[in-house]
Amino acid sequence: MIFNSETTWFIDAYILLILGYAILIMSSYLVLAYLSTKALRSYLKKNSFVDYEALLTSEFAPKLSLIAPAYNEGFTIEENVKSLLSLNYNNYEVIVVNDGSKDNSMEILINTYGLVLTEFNIDLKIETKKIRGIYTSINAAFKKLIVVDKENGGKADALNVGLNIAQNPYVVCIDVDCILDKDSLLKLAKPFLETYGKRIIATGGVVRIANQCVIRNGRLIEINIPDAILPRIQVLEYLRAFLLGRMAWGRLDGLLLISGAFGAFDKEIALLAGGYSTKTVGEDMELVVRMRRYMVENKLPYSVSYIPDPLCWTEAPEDFKIFKKQRSRWMRGTIETLTLHKKMFLNPKYKLLGMLSIPYWTFFEFLAPAIEFTGLFITLLFIFFGFINWHFFFLLVLFVYTFAVFFSVIALFSEEYTYHKYPKQADFFKLLLAAFIEPLYFHPLTVYAALVGYKEKIMGTKGWGEMTRKGFNKKE
Amino acid sequence: MAKIWELYKNSHWVEPFLIGSICLFVGISAVLYLLITASRNKKIKQEKLREEYDLIIVELMYAVVFMDAPFSSVKDDQNYAVFLKNPYFREVLTESVINLHKNYDGIYAIKLEEFYKESELINSSFKKLKNRKWEVKCKGITELAEMNITDSFDTIVTISKSKNKTLKITAINACIKLGGTTGIIHLTEHPYPIDNWTQLNIINAFKKHDIGDTQGVEYLLESKNTTVVSLGLKLIKELKFTQKLSHVEELAEKAPNILIQYEAQSVVQALTVNLISK
Repeated sequence: MIFNSETTWFIDAYILLILGYAILIMSSYLVLAYLSTKALRSYLKKNSFVDYEALLTSEFAPKLSLIAPAYNEGFTIEENVKSLLSLNYNNYEVIVVNDGSKDNSMEILINTYGLVLTEFNIDLKIETKKIRGIYTSINAAFKKLIVVDKENGGKADALNVGLNIAQNPYVVCIDVDCILDKDSLLKLAKPFLETYGKRIIATGGVVRIANQCVIRNGRLIEINIPDAILPRIQVLEYLRAFLLGRMAWGRLDGLLLISGAFGAFDKEIALLAGGYSTKTVGEDMELVVRMRRYMVENKLPYSVSYIPDPLCWTEAPEDFKIFKKQRSRWMRGTIETLTLHKKMFLNPKYKLLGMLSIPYWTFFEFLAPAIEFTGLFITLLFIFFGFINWHFFFLLVLFVYTFAVFFSVIALFSEEYTYHKYPKQADFFKLLLAAFIEPLYFHPLTVYAALVGYKEKIMGTKGWGEMTRKGFNKKE
Repeated sequence: MAKIWELYKNSHWVEPFLIGSICLFVGISAVLYLLITASRNKKIKQEKLREEYDLIIVELMYAVVFMDAPFSSVKDDQNYAVFLKNPYFREVLTESVINLHKNYDGIYAIKLEEFYKESELINSSFKKLKNRKWEVKCKGITELAEMNITDSFDTIVTISKSKNKTLKITAINACIKLGGTTGIIHLTEHPYPIDNWTQLNIINAFKKHDIGDTQGVEYLLESKNTTVVSLGLKLIKELKFTQKLSHVEELAEKAPNILIQYEAQSVVQALTVNLISK
């Protein structure tokens, strides 16, 4: 087919545009992977000489308050709280916030831990839903435990209650159903001691997938790769995100997100910044951005630290419906955070944060699914009208596909040379197979879920929706 | 240049670029896959070898430590002679000797130290101190300190002035083990701030190695570096050095800043409580 010069120019420009975007995103992934690998190697070298016992036995170790919001967790709450109380750390308290559960969570906690209503002086620095009662244990073995019963107000509200009640200068916000490594608090607390003249306002840890792993008494006993394809690919996805992405942002000190499942914060700064926002479903990312913004705007030297060790293990959705809910919520959270802090976008006042982190999230996290979908749609239209031939389309798809597999292999390579958590040959091949399937099966699902997130945002959907979990130990 | 521009304008480069990139991605993925496989095989091999060596080392250690066999006889024994020349075996042997030494006191510890010297494992540790890589230096320092090699003290003190924090902490800990308080006196002249993590490690080293001789800790309180002063105060407080009370009281009166004054007052309070309870 012969086209006039305007049409040819338009097609060429379009091809250059989508190719340019793809190359930009791929290059950014590779640069981040390179920085991550360098930072990871340096961290592991240093870590091999760290004696965490120094922290364990010292009265100067940072005092921590663990805040664990719980909503309808009656099935696992007893064991989960027990595991939180038995972590390797001395200076800490555990605050379980029952966010108006409809099940028997409170009853279980009261009976198991011998809880009684206690008079508690609360300084309400952040406004929250009504607290029904604060409980402590009559058993000295559980003196670290505080249980707050409150009206339902969502995760952010429950975390804010925890922030109001916490007596220690650092708070560790966790999901109550996560499995924490025994030394996780030691590793998370260390960065707070490490700088001089600069305040560490938050520390984030790596989250990994625990589906089909063997868990006993709230501890991870054996690591396995799930047989089901959806959680299996999420193992790979988490490796890519945490080992090759966040580590680099941590090194650049441009980290915007500390996973809500496991992160530590300087309580004073978190409170000064206003605590968790109840207006967004991305409260974890929003708080980090707001704390950073607070520090920059008040000209206070600060840093956000990141620990690459796998410290927290969580259950990934195995069912597409729940997966879709989770990912669409993540997208809504991203949109809400970026909108709330749009002032920072390309604003040199916020330095790396404004000039790099926020634009990166805008173009490669928020807009990527829309660009990808639109690009695919237009390309198919161009093929239909004969502007682009199938041969070229096939090459383009193959280009993207091979890069996705290549990037997954880099993640596997990085895991192999660092933590080597999947030593079984069968597990390695399962992950390798997942790398080949991911671009064809998983990636389109994530794009679809993100598009649902856009739609929900436009329609004004609020809240988390019910997130049912299947529980661990299925293969034990 | 004109040719390149023409090529770019005509978009003729797009297809070769895509094909080239695809080949590159596939090629590098294949190389990475091979490297992963090689690494896994190496790990399996090393694990097997280590298991094999562990058995030999157990026998060797039993003979040297518990059966009083002199090293000269062990050296000439055909069962061990070949292995003692093998670098990987010597590495595993060093690790085993160090681990055993951590768990033994008295005569057994002395025998292990003698074996460490006679078998010339000590030379490898000294060599590590000269290595350019800081992590190798750290390893050497840890080995020498564990085996109480006081000859290495001066070298380790020099290394402790390094800017690399991990190396500095490892070296200071070793200095404390080998020289007690004399191992940290040089910190009074330290030009850079010492962060809380380093301070915590120094205090831990005192506790771990049960340093009873406190002579000289008070010099830290005279340093111009306020972080060193803070370290001295923490050390006195955590280890309950009540004999240093007068020095802390003096500091509380003439503190260089309000933070140090507050810290000193709190230490005075804690020490007074300790004295009363005694």
